[in-house]
Amino acid sequence: MIDVSNLVYEYPTVRALKGVSLQVAPQTITALVGPNGAGKTTLLRCLAGLEQPYSGRVTINGLDTRQSPRAIHALLGYLPDFYGLYDALTVRQILTYAARSRGVAAAQVSETVDKASWRVLLKDRLDARAGELSRGLRQRLAIAQSIVHEPKVLLLDEPAAGLDPQARRDLSTLLVTLRDSGMTLVVSSHILAELEDYCSEMIIIEDGLIVGGQAIKVRDVERPRYMLEIATARSDLREFLSGKGGVNVIEADQHHALFTYTRNAVARFRLIRDLLGAGFELSSFGESSKALEDAYFSRIRQGHESRT
Amino acid sequence: MNPELERNVWLELTPRRLLVMTMVLALAFFAAAVTAGTGGPAETARWAYYIIVVIWGSRNAARSVVGEIRDHTWDTQRLSSLPAGTMMWGKLFGATSYNWFGGVLCLAVILASLIGHSGVLVAIIELVYYLSIGMIAQSVALLASLMAAGRRQGHSQFEVFLYQGAGMVAAIAVYAIWSVADPAGSILLHHAPTDFIVWWGRSLDARGFLLISLALFAAWTLTACYREMRIELQMRNGPLVWLAFLLFIGVYVAGFDAWLSGYPYLTDLDAVARRLLLAGSALAALSYVMVFLEPKNRVQYRWLAGRFGAFELGTGLSRLQSWMMSYLAAVALGVVLVAWLGLNRQLGGQGAVGAMLGFFTRDMAIVVLAGTLSRRRTGDFAAAAILFMLYVLLPAIIGGLNYGAGTLLFFPRISDPVWLSPTVAWAEAAVAWAMTISSIALPERQPAAT
Repeated sequence: MIDVSNLVYEYPTVRALKGVSLQVAPQTITALVGPNGAGKTTLLRCLAGLEQPYSGRVTINGLDTRQSPRAIHALLGYLPDFYGLYDALTVRQILTYAARSRGVAAAQVSETVDKASWRVLLKDRLDARAGELSRGLRQRLAIAQSIVHEPKVLLLDEPAAGLDPQARRDLSTLLVTLRDSGMTLVVSSHILAELEDYCSEMIIIEDGLIVGGQAIKVRDVERPRYMLEIATARSDLREFLSGKGGVNVIEADQHHALFTYTRNAVARFRLIRDLLGAGFELSSFGESSKALEDAYFSRIRQGHESRT
Repeated sequence: MNPELERNVWLELTPRRLLVMTMVLALAFFAAAVTAGTGGPAETARWAYYIIVVIWGSRNAARSVVGEIRDHTWDTQRLSSLPAGTMMWGKLFGATSYNWFGGVLCLAVILASLIGHSGVLVAIIELVYYLSIGMIAQSVALLASLMAAGRRQGHSQFEVFLYQGAGMVAAIAVYAIWSVADPAGSILLHHAPTDFIVWWGRSLDARGFLLISLALFAAWTLTACYREMRIELQMRNGPLVWLAFLLFIGVYVAGFDAWLSGYPYLTDLDAVARRLLLAGSALAALSYVMVFLEPKNRVQYRWLAGRFGAFELGTGLSRLQSWMMSYLAAVALGVVLVAWLGLNRQLGGQGAVGAMLGFFTRDMAIVVLAGTLSRRRTGDFAAAAILFMLYVLLPAIIGGLNYGAGTLLFFPRISDPVWLSPTVAWAEAAVAWAMTISSIALPERQPAAT
């Protein structure tokens, strides 16, 4: 759905993106993560066709941002880090304007506004002014504004910043619903915990480059990530696991191992049995609850090692 | 209805605000009617129109884009599917809809008075004038704010004031020009109106000429707004419209050559030379204005140089900035003028024009260099300070020290030998451009991005 090839973006005194290449598959939620100043917002703005790159190519659904920026605008929704709402207007007026300015036919505007407000659970607040809404509700309204025209791609820049835990949970549910309805989402954040619940792919950007050169799969329903711990150190832990069919070790030391393996319960039972049979004092074994965080730091370490 | 206009109307034309405007103006007109020495309701309506439509309207027009940037709604608007024309008209008349509501009330009083005292024709002419001055002021303010948006700067209150100021300067220019032939009499400049204007050797009816001129300049201003809006909406503008504008300005200004015939230093010039001088000067002035206003981005210049380096001439030429096209056109006219003066054996004039072209070329380099070295507007201030130093301070010091001949280092003169002044000017231009090109080609630093 999104294809970026050797993208270079320069500010007058800074090269913010230094040859970024990546692909985003349709109907996925991809996390764009990295430290502050890594180039996340610049990359999102290039994807949205709001900035023209110095060189390289961005295509969305086969359309080039340089050649057809307006056609791409029609395909995507963009939620900037500031929500961009008109505080003096009501929710209905904001969504009506968004629908009309995004090309929704006049006869369908009312229905479209109802649908968008229903999706973000704001149907009962259509006559409230945006300035009177809480931060969580404003964020929902901003998302409704971004999806009112049913875009194929939704780009969200730090969507959960400043939200309380309940609002973050609501956001996760909403984003998964949007993905299931057919949208492709790219979510930028520097807080990994907030992405954990809904992202299936992750792109790490650091100093204007994609770490590892490509997106990594962080949530695989068939092959989740597992973390195990053993009580007594064993230097052959990695070697033992690597020798087992179907195990893909991401990283391991003498006490811990992070790996992907089938979700099948019988297969898991056999692996645990083999570990115990080989004398490993297994003290914990379970699906990694911090898949994204594990993958992030693993990839960052690999990136640094390959550079040194 | 235009969605952008409708959104602005939701914000601007609330029943309470409409009532307040109507009440305030009604009270002002009534007070003028019952108070001696105020000039009556019509005079009050004129002043109210200038305040509401020109001064306040310019501010609202300037804020129509700047306010969106400040409130972080501009990116969402840039992503909309609205055509540039729809967005421009929606902003221009939407953000100022409340001002136009007040303006219409004022115009009703002005026209009622004019029809009663001067007849329908004068009333119609005045109506065109008032609509033009309001629209030109507001569209220039919008244009200034759009250009600032293109430079990714300018949403403080002070900067909004600057864009509003640009609109008001345009309005004052319209007012001053109109007062030349104002049939109703100017309310600020009290002088006798002129019935005829000489243009391209023909004596034309002043009111008709000025009305057409106003309409043409209003159309060009709106065209400029439209093109700037296209850029903001990520569309590309070709060079043809700007080239057409340069042609229009050159022809329009050259027509006033009769005004130069009495100027002491120019008595030797024939009509052709005067017209070339006027047209070239107008294009040079546009170059100075545009080189200050347009973004001076090293990345863009490197990209442009890359296109020419790769012999992608069509792409390169189509992406030239307006100041570059104006500069090339002005230099081309200057070269024609030099050749014409040579044919007429006016060697002194030839040298002076050659030096003018050299200093003009140097100045462009100075503004670009300062703009690419500094961030945002500070570069333009630095360039203006350098030019002030070169054209005013240093010549004054050298003149004060009785080294009068040294001033040819700073501005064009008829020198002895004739070739000395242009040689000095072009040498300075070469040095300035060498520094500018080196600066643009410098590699960037590597601090954090956003």
